[in-house]
Amino acid sequence: MRRTAALQLLAPLFLVGVAALIGTLVSTSTETYVINALVNVAIVVALYVFIGNSGVLSFGHISFVAVGAWAAGVLSMPVQEKPAIMPHLASLLRDHAIGNVPSLALAAAVGAAYALVIGLPLMRLSGLGAGIATFGVLEITHNVLRYWETIGPGLNTFSAVPETTGLLQASIGAALAVIVAFAYRRSRFGRLLSATREDAAAARAVGVSVYRQRLVAFVLSGGLAGFAGGLYVHLLPVNTESLYLDIPFLTLAMLLIGGATSLWGAVVGALAVSGVDSFLAEAETGIHVFGQPLNLPAGTRIVVVGAFMALVLILRPAGLTGGRELSFRQLRPLRVLTKFAK
Amino acid sequence: MSLPALAVEGLTVRHGAVTAVRDLSLSVEAGEIVGLIGPNGAGKSSTLHAIMGAVRPAAGAVLVNGVSVVGRRPEDVARRGVALVPEGRRIFAELTVEENLRLGLAGRRRREGVEDDLARVYELFPAVEESLRRKAGTLSGGQQQQLAIARGLVADPEVLLLDEPSLGLAPRVVDLVFQALSAIRDRGLAVLLVEQRAQRTVALADRSHVLSRGELRLTLGPESAGDTEALVSAYLA
Amino acid sequence: MTLAFLGMNWQTLADAVSLGAIYALMAVGIGLVFGVLRLVNFAYGQLVMAGAYALAFAYDHGWPVSVGILLCFAVVLTLSLLLDRIVFRPLRAHSPAVMLVATFAIAFLLQSIALLWFGPLGKISASLAALNQPVTISGVDIRKIAIVATALAAACLLALVLLLGRTRVGLHMRAAAMDFRTAELLGVRAGRVITAAVLVSGVLAAIVAVMLTVQTPLVTPDFALRDTILVLAGVVLGGMNRLVPATLGGFAIGFASGLLGGALPTNWSQYLPSFLFAAVILVLLVRPGGLFTREGQRAAERV
Repeated sequence: MRRTAALQLLAPLFLVGVAALIGTLVSTSTETYVINALVNVAIVVALYVFIGNSGVLSFGHISFVAVGAWAAGVLSMPVQEKPAIMPHLASLLRDHAIGNVPSLALAAAVGAAYALVIGLPLMRLSGLGAGIATFGVLEITHNVLRYWETIGPGLNTFSAVPETTGLLQASIGAALAVIVAFAYRRSRFGRLLSATREDAAAARAVGVSVYRQRLVAFVLSGGLAGFAGGLYVHLLPVNTESLYLDIPFLTLAMLLIGGATSLWGAVVGALAVSGVDSFLAEAETGIHVFGQPLNLPAGTRIVVVGAFMALVLILRPAGLTGGRELSFRQLRPLRVLTKFAK
Repeated sequence: MSLPALAVEGLTVRHGAVTAVRDLSLSVEAGEIVGLIGPNGAGKSSTLHAIMGAVRPAAGAVLVNGVSVVGRRPEDVARRGVALVPEGRRIFAELTVEENLRLGLAGRRRREGVEDDLARVYELFPAVEESLRRKAGTLSGGQQQQLAIARGLVADPEVLLLDEPSLGLAPRVVDLVFQALSAIRDRGLAVLLVEQRAQRTVALADRSHVLSRGELRLTLGPESAGDTEALVSAYLA
Repeated sequence: MTLAFLGMNWQTLADAVSLGAIYALMAVGIGLVFGVLRLVNFAYGQLVMAGAYALAFAYDHGWPVSVGILLCFAVVLTLSLLLDRIVFRPLRAHSPAVMLVATFAIAFLLQSIALLWFGPLGKISASLAALNQPVTISGVDIRKIAIVATALAAACLLALVLLLGRTRVGLHMRAAAMDFRTAELLGVRAGRVITAAVLVSGVLAAIVAVMLTVQTPLVTPDFALRDTILVLAGVVLGGMNRLVPATLGGFAIGFASGLLGGALPTNWSQYLPSFLFAAVILVLLVRPGGLFTREGQRAAERV
């Protein structure tokens, strides 16, 4: 029992470590991809905490990434840079700046607080209603951050935010997310929530409040997503458009392709899809593979990832609904790995 | 000797790990009512669903006029002359009575004779004809059951399957339904009647099979109707 | 007078009505497929987008308008049938959430294919640009397209009412939307009903593509994406489970966004999506069955 538990934690951490190690070996330009992949791990693990354990779909989690990025970005930008990028900023935000680590903690806190506000009403929904409502949250967050210049740069990009998310911070951040997710899954809360995922009626019958358990996971997951948003804004200059439809789609794809109901699946999915995505992104700018020039047109990455995700969902929706048999051979290695981690 | 309209041979139905029906065989000739009685969960409805193709049997054969229908979709089985009057009636509450009847026509094999068949159905169930324009949901339970049977009959089937048609009906309405079934038999249909009202079914049917835990335990003729309850309960005890 | 007081004019009102009419058609297209497949087709907008590219392609090559429209229908219908066969039917057995995510993926896929194929800058489709000219009706200028779109949408809805109410396949579609299993047990051809719904939905997408390219001649990969998101919101707002409330919801959200977008000052109208989606969430919480459904109907749906 204890050995299995240790494996559940160590296997994902090991993967994060391997990714970090690869990051130290490659060129600086490739290193950026590795750092990006590690931040994706943090986001997808945040998604896993809620979606994986509750079985309820959420398109809205990138909202928490966004508010986390906004909180960290607005407050850690040097005071002298702020007027140029955020001319309409509220004075309280304009006159203060905080350091790197406090900004990440703040991002997590803001993400969790926002998730609490959203979750209080929304956790009553499930199924299609939850999917549409969380999509609405994404739309509203995007819309407000895009135009409300009192709290951020509006349509401008978060340039001049200190780029502190290097390989070290991204690795620690991803590992931290994995550890928190693991601890939650092992806790009483995590066990109760996954019981509601398997059979909500039975869980209710023994006195479990499905609403409360989902809310706990939603807030924790919002905190992790906010934290990941903080890492993200310290990695590259983001704006509202970079946190709109592409990222929700890609991160959800990562979770579902990896297998939504396991932490291992979340980490594998995030790293695998990020890897493929990075490779294709490079290929779009022109690279050489085994001496052959490869130059893919812009947009190839989303076509490939989209097709892959659609295939997985059609042929093997188990990622979302949990633990069904594979129906095509290509994915067998993945399943074997997932089994191994369980 | 002619082929039976419906023949079930060695039918086994499983729902996951649970075996709902085990090695069941029965046959229904044209102009015959065969009853299938037994307690809840005995496998009666599963048998009907397997005949219709709504669940795939784990083993066994279902023959309609000697032709196997195993593996066919419900819509195809319906088009081979099998009509199911489902449990709980399953009428379309928001469609009119007439529209419900027109849906029954979907299973017809021949286009002609619709008017004649409708007339014969109205003769059997005058209440249905009187309320053609009404929303089916506004009918009483007994009228809805008559509509459900009428909807099955307009498909001009050779085999009529009924799943607990007397469920939740007042005794007077049950009489009406059972009389109608007798008239349907006289018209030459093969009727397989699933029921919980053992005594009435045994009295009406040419023979009745007692099903328990998915297995056929006992077959009764109409002559045993007097002491059915005693026989059945003794057997199932 | 009241209109002037609200800061609107007749042109805004006519535009709002026509946008509502176009959204109503899209709502029907989404609602029909949802009815028979229980699938929220997030990729509906990409069907419209594909149709718009077909129109732009024809315009690019200097083909006559009629050929362009024909091509638009051919492309949208072919794509609809392909989606049905490759995506919708294999997904039928799965949960609504899985189907939603899958069509979400398909939407992205189609959008990226458009990006690959035609580039990010977009193509122009201006063969029907003349419809943007105003006509004067009792002293009020109204763009022709507003009238054409409204009339065409009304005609489509009427044709649909006849199809659903008076024909055999229409009856089968309605029955399948209410209780697919029982309909199949009665001998209703499931495949035929689904194909019919997908085809009608595709025809509506093609018509919408023609109308929208008149208003927005620049066709980009995200063409009709915003519209689809709004229509989906409207459909949920009205009531997903039924066609009439869904259509009303689609009209309402198109009308509201046309009216408010035209009448409100920019610093307010830019938050329009937030208000609309806040309303959607509120409706989901308070009346999960939708705004335009009657109490009795909603009780029946829960059974």
